[in-house]
Amino acid sequence: MRSLVALKILLHDKATTAGSLIGVIAIVFLVGQQITVLFGLFTYMSVLVDHSGADIWVCSKNTPNINATGTLPVRYVDRISSLPGVAWAEPLVFGSGTFKTRDGRCEGVQVVGLRPPRGAAGPWRFYEGSVNSLLDYEGITVDRLDRPMLGNPEVNEYFEINNKRVKVNAVTQSIKGFSGRLVFTNMVKAREILKTPPGRCKAILIKLTPDSDVGAALPGIQKLVPKAEVFRTSELSRKTRIYYVKNTGMGGSFGFSTMVGALVGIIIITLTMYTAVLQRQKDFAVLRALGARKTDIFIIVLVQSLIIAVVGIFIGFVLLALFLQAAHDSPLPSYMPGWLPPLHAVGTLLMCVFGSLLAMRKAISVEPASVFR
Amino acid sequence: MTQPILRLAGIARDFHDGKTVRRVLKKTDLSVYPGEFTIIAGPSGSGKTTLLTIMGLILKPSEGTIFVRDTDVTGYSESRLATMRLNNYGFVFQLAELLPALSVLENVVVANGIQGSGVARRFRQKALDLLESLELKDCLLLKPLQLSGGQKQRVAIARALVNDPAVMLCDEPTSALDAESSTIVLDALKRLSQDQTRGMIMVTHDPRVFPYADRLIKIENGAIVYDSRTTDAAVDAPVQNQ
Repeated sequence: MRSLVALKILLHDKATTAGSLIGVIAIVFLVGQQITVLFGLFTYMSVLVDHSGADIWVCSKNTPNINATGTLPVRYVDRISSLPGVAWAEPLVFGSGTFKTRDGRCEGVQVVGLRPPRGAAGPWRFYEGSVNSLLDYEGITVDRLDRPMLGNPEVNEYFEINNKRVKVNAVTQSIKGFSGRLVFTNMVKAREILKTPPGRCKAILIKLTPDSDVGAALPGIQKLVPKAEVFRTSELSRKTRIYYVKNTGMGGSFGFSTMVGALVGIIIITLTMYTAVLQRQKDFAVLRALGARKTDIFIIVLVQSLIIAVVGIFIGFVLLALFLQAAHDSPLPSYMPGWLPPLHAVGTLLMCVFGSLLAMRKAISVEPASVFR
Repeated sequence: MTQPILRLAGIARDFHDGKTVRRVLKKTDLSVYPGEFTIIAGPSGSGKTTLLTIMGLILKPSEGTIFVRDTDVTGYSESRLATMRLNNYGFVFQLAELLPALSVLENVVVANGIQGSGVARRFRQKALDLLESLELKDCLLLKPLQLSGGQKQRVAIARALVNDPAVMLCDEPTSALDAESSTIVLDALKRLSQDQTRGMIMVTHDPRVFPYADRLIKIENGAIVYDSRTTDAAVDAPVQNQ
């Protein structure tokens, strides 16, 4: 009966219920949107590392993040390839370049040079063309989302990067980098554009055989390359993300706006639920007079809070899903890891209950004798 | 000799008004008997509502003892008192005080399930029977807003009866009703008061209601000045109208 009373009161007081729902939806959407953008940016930060297909990365000593690494001798590749348990080792060349558009504008790009035919750390999603396009000496890819900023280059069209001729051979789909628009090419062209000496590379990618253990392989590889630094892929990915979060103020900025979103939601919930209880004081007094205990009144308000939370969370996540859908094909970074929705839902539920504490306190303080006044 | 269903022994009530203490109900002994329609009459501020709320276990007395069916409930916690009210009392308030969010039927059964037990089928059937006896069979799904004052009060009566209470307390149930509706409600209460398992007490300031009483108690300035049950009434004073 308590749950029925709770539900019926909510349905009867449509305005205040709607207000509380808006509060919950605000929490879910605003906080969720901030978090998905933040995680989207995370994916940009370490995109090369996460999609490399490698288990281990070798970079120069004291590398703080993947975009701030020095060069290594390419001969390390042969040393590492000879180790038991190594399936393959590939060099990678990458760096910043200037793309000259059709109308003479210059746009910054991040050039990534792969060694065919494996093409480790190469593009993994194509809108037009394929990775074989990079076998062409001058061939590059541009991303579909970057096309407007690069002057809408078409496939088979020629451009310049760092005053070196390139040809757009393929278009990737939603592959975004953090420090510039990603342009993939073959290693020879990349060296030419970036002026990287032939015997040097920026990183070495290592894939182990299925029966090998990454932890066990690391010391052996480090011993081979004492002047370099050896990372698990996940470790380098995390290190890169932490670097950018700490050093760009991004963490603080997102954290603050997420908190503001949550606070706005809690305030709305608190005010609307408190108002709802004030409107129903007489009803609670009557119920107390009829035999309801303080616990029963508390449960009624708690059930109301939970109903609002569940419905608001559902609507909020639908809106969030629509946002993610719309952002998927846009330059806006957005990514929601699988563990986030349940955590966000539980957190929102707790915030909703917290916001209704004041209302609960007011409800249970109602005196049954007030019915007789 | 019939045993009282409710007994107040040496009950008094003080109200603290900042630094002063005001005795609104003087030491009172009162017993309520089953099958008896007791009307407590008095002018505004006489203490009749205070007496009613103490009898209803809603207000705690400052002194004295309360017995419900010979059980001393004076020292009970709020929670136990609530359960006592649920199981032994029925209330009819001045303005019916139905919950506007619930239908007529839900308003009648709400008390039965309010402590979380759920509404048993027999209570639902009893509610339907009561509403039918009070000529409200066609109003089951209506909301209180759709009812007249008299209909609301009859729903309140059904709500008060659904748990088969030993004590029924009515706080000026006809004060907001027209003459015709008042008569219907009073006739229903009189009829119900004949139940030998139940004591009915009604508080009012309207002398037109007095003829319905089996027992008339007059209260003034916090003290009972007349009780028709006792042969040596102190003062037979007329009740002042509000």
